[in-house]
Amino acid sequence: MFDGLIANYGEAVAVLLFAIGFGNLLLQKNLIKKILGLNFMDTGTYLFLAEKGYIEGRMAPIVVNGVQDVNAYINPIPSGLVLTGIVVSVSVTALMLSLTIRLYQRYHTLDMDEISTILKKEEL
Amino acid sequence: MNESVSLLAAILFPVLSGAVLLLLKKLNDRRKVLIYAGIAMGIAGVLILNALLGKEKEILLFFLTEDIPIVLKLDNMGKWFLAIMSLIWILAGIFSFPYMKHEGKERRYFGFYLITLGAMAGLGCAGNLVTMYAFFEFLTLASFPLVIHNQSREAVMAGLKYLFYSLFGAYMALFGLFFLCRYTDTISFIPGGTLNMELAKGNESVLLLAACLMIVGFSVKAGMFPLHAWLPTAHPVAPAPASALLSGVIVKAGVLAVIRVIFYEFGADFIRGTWVQYVFMTLSLITVFMGSMLAFRENGLKKRLAYSTVSQLSYILFGIALLNPVALTGSLLHVAGHAVIKCALFLCAGAVIFQTGITTVDGLKGIGKKMPVTIWCFTIVSLGLIGIPPTGGFISKWYLAVGALESGIKGFQYAGPIVLLVSALLTAGYLLPVTIKGFFPGTDFDYGETKKCEAGAAMTIPIVILAALSVLIGMFPNTFIEFISAFTAGLM
Amino acid sequence: MEFLRNFPCFSLILTMCASIVSSGMNGKWARRLNIVVIVAVGLLSSAALYLTVTTNQCYVYKMGRFPAPWGNEIRFGVLETLMALFFSIIMLLSVLGGRKHLFEELDPFKENLYYVLVNLLMSSLLALIYTNDLFTAYVFVEINTISACGLIMIRESGHTLEAATRYMIMSLIGSGLLLFGLCILYGITGHLLMSNIKEQVALLVATDQYHIPLVVAIVFIVVGLAVKSALFPFHSWLPDSYGYSTASSAAILSSLVSKGYIFLLIKVFYRVIGFEIITESKILNVLFVFGLCGMIFGSLSAIKENDIRRMIAFSSVAQIGYIYMGFGLRTEAGIIASVFHIFSHAASKSMLFISAVGLTDVSGKSKKFLDLTGAGYRNVIAGITFTVGALSMVGVPLFPGFISKILFARAGVSVPLNRMLPTLICLAVSTILNTVYFMKTVLRIYTPVKTDYINIKWKENLCCGIVCIFFIILNIALGMYSEPIVELISRGIAMFA
Repeated sequence: MFDGLIANYGEAVAVLLFAIGFGNLLLQKNLIKKILGLNFMDTGTYLFLAEKGYIEGRMAPIVVNGVQDVNAYINPIPSGLVLTGIVVSVSVTALMLSLTIRLYQRYHTLDMDEISTILKKEEL
Repeated sequence: MNESVSLLAAILFPVLSGAVLLLLKKLNDRRKVLIYAGIAMGIAGVLILNALLGKEKEILLFFLTEDIPIVLKLDNMGKWFLAIMSLIWILAGIFSFPYMKHEGKERRYFGFYLITLGAMAGLGCAGNLVTMYAFFEFLTLASFPLVIHNQSREAVMAGLKYLFYSLFGAYMALFGLFFLCRYTDTISFIPGGTLNMELAKGNESVLLLAACLMIVGFSVKAGMFPLHAWLPTAHPVAPAPASALLSGVIVKAGVLAVIRVIFYEFGADFIRGTWVQYVFMTLSLITVFMGSMLAFRENGLKKRLAYSTVSQLSYILFGIALLNPVALTGSLLHVAGHAVIKCALFLCAGAVIFQTGITTVDGLKGIGKKMPVTIWCFTIVSLGLIGIPPTGGFISKWYLAVGALESGIKGFQYAGPIVLLVSALLTAGYLLPVTIKGFFPGTDFDYGETKKCEAGAAMTIPIVILAALSVLIGMFPNTFIEFISAFTAGLM
Repeated sequence: MEFLRNFPCFSLILTMCASIVSSGMNGKWARRLNIVVIVAVGLLSSAALYLTVTTNQCYVYKMGRFPAPWGNEIRFGVLETLMALFFSIIMLLSVLGGRKHLFEELDPFKENLYYVLVNLLMSSLLALIYTNDLFTAYVFVEINTISACGLIMIRESGHTLEAATRYMIMSLIGSGLLLFGLCILYGITGHLLMSNIKEQVALLVATDQYHIPLVVAIVFIVVGLAVKSALFPFHSWLPDSYGYSTASSAAILSSLVSKGYIFLLIKVFYRVIGFEIITESKILNVLFVFGLCGMIFGSLSAIKENDIRRMIAFSSVAQIGYIYMGFGLRTEAGIIASVFHIFSHAASKSMLFISAVGLTDVSGKSKKFLDLTGAGYRNVIAGITFTVGALSMVGVPLFPGFISKILFARAGVSVPLNRMLPTLICLAVSTILNTVYFMKTVLRIYTPVKTDYINIKWKENLCCGIVCIFFIILNIALGMYSEPIVELISRGIAMFA
């Protein structure tokens, strides 16, 4: 059981990161901490992909001195996916941060629950 | 093709003309509304007559899902109900012309009144269960504005009660229908039932549950215990012609639906002797007795009549539950008899309210001197409802009793006629006091102040026609009985 | 004829280009361009639908030059094109129906941005419908989320900002799970194209390899998409974001955005994992239970609600519960019923939102029930439209809601008793609850009131009125002629395999 974990320690760390991020995003009240959680979560995923994409002893898929056997290279797609994912997560983070700024300007707090109570009071 | 179009016209014309009346703001003037409604009612009547006089016909409109078509088909059973419904509808409609003056908002009233006829025509013409269910819901929704017409809080609450009871019943029936669909070849109405016995084998308990759900569900509309409470609440608040329609006709929609379910879907043989039949018989007998008792205790005139409807409708349901041709003939006769009589009673009550504003039975002292024609008609139809020959009620109750005795079902064979008899006595007990108080107010009554205040011709004539009809049905029942027994024999 | 197969790709590119182009336009031209583009997408999709129906096969369209296991693909059959056509119709009607409010509620400088977002949303929905590549699906899920968030927050008020934040947080949780599930699936199969993954998954199951990672991947993907489509316990963001955003946004969000994710989920069931493997796993039971809970609790919350828009929003929670219940039946009939419910709910719910706004407009902009008294007389067409929508939601025959109930119930009676009884009981209970709150509302808007409000003139409200009429026609058509649509759905699902 633990042998598997130790052999794939990269993946294990990735899953741990994902879980930490997930918990923060779900449970934190502070918006900034939530956004941090979001980034943890995404980073965990990218680490997982990068770990999966790397095979010990193979080269980067860039042809330098003549084409060798297919088995000499790693698959470039996971790295490509990581890049795409980073772009997506950057844009999402930017959106979240801009929302946070707006909310802070209006209510001078970063706590979601407090904002909700203020809103309820406004309605009455 | 032409034949089939007549069915469609009979349904669509009332609905469309009603919708036009509701939407055209220009028809705001009372006179214009009445003229429009009168013409529309005339044309609708002619169209329905045209549909009734033709042969049996069928028209496939479209498919709802791949195996559920929407079919219109007018067989003899449908014709019988449709004829009664439209007759009562027209007479109550004529009565509403003057009556609605004191309720106001004629445009809305007549708009929905016309739409209600379309829904009833559709119900009579429905050729399969889903079509019938659609029109059943449509009828509930179309008649709902009639109940809440004066829009007082009380009326709205009563209307909601009516709506929820009816919808609840219809949904119960709908869930029965889902089960039924699996075990039939078709959901069209075929005399003798459409159950596929091979599929049904081994699933009898599920099917009986479905039958029970459907029967009880549709009987909500017919006011069967334990879901009868909407009737006495909804009737007093509705305008009198609307309660006449509700009590005379709309409750019959439930009866028609139950007949369709039992004789045209499950088949009488499948239900005979099972717990479903016993449950159905017991519930209907309880309702017969309970309705009469409650009517006996009630002082409000319209509410008393409403309880009377609860009781009388269960006569009809009991006749159906017995599952034999004689009792079914009695039931169908009673459908006609009760429709005519109860409509007349409500119209009489309406005329009294319109002229004097009296709503309780105790207030009716000496009314016979003021409105002799109305109270005479009330008396004649009361005798009919009690079942004294030669009125219509006698014949139908005779058939019901004979049917019960012939059925040979242990217990109910004798219990049925006894309950019917006791209930007839109670009926006398709650209807005749009106006549007695009306004509014999007692020695301390001051005759000096009474003046004649008979209602106008447009209100009296429908009442007189209905009273005459109730007697005519009793005196010359043979044509009807022949017509009915010709097709009830094929059902079992 | 062969040329028609390019059309789905065209419609994708068209919407994306339009959203870029309209960012440089002023509001008026952006609006016109948006309408032209949506109509064009509708026409293109109907042409593609015609192609797939007549030839009765599905087409794979290579994006880029590389063939199958490496390149990216879009793939379309009957169901995909039907869905695209339907989405474009609803989109058009929703945008037009809320146009008056857009003028009132938006900053004039921002009006073109609204249409940028609408075009972007449309393109991401089309991509979700057509794509054959899971990672592309993920990217467009995120684009969908971002543009939907924009649609909520573009009307800048405290409520919409808060709602948008809540929406974003829930969506990000969902897409995080989805992405992680995808990565695991990619790790064990080595493919991103749906058809290839399915082959590999079948192989893995047959040889009994990687059992746990496969289950974990399925769970992550399904739960992620369920969270994003507001399945019952994850619906907390929904009432606020539907209740306070501008009318068009609410209609679009409720009827299209969540449906896009559900459609992707169906594709995952059939095209990625394989329906047999999904039905054997326990995940559908979880969806079933949550779906049933959603049906009941959504309706209960709607009954308690005192705000018409939020009430309709809670009703959406219940309706999404219906869809997941259909998945939980684990039969093809259940899926067909769910897909039909996507159509019927989209048609009715967008109609309800548009007409509810028509009603609140004539009641001093108040959404409270008490102020809505008699609104049906003041704005006749909106009143009628709302009534039709309510009847459809309640499940009165001849409206689409009834057909979906029939389909659900008939799918329900053909499964074993332990799932049949909960299905039928919850259907019955939720139908009655629906009746309670929708009839209450209809009655409220038709109760006459003495106080003077301004009656709305037909001419002032022409656009909204015409849209309402089209909505009514669409609903009645769906309710009365559902047979060909159900047939197309079942053909489309057969093509998925």
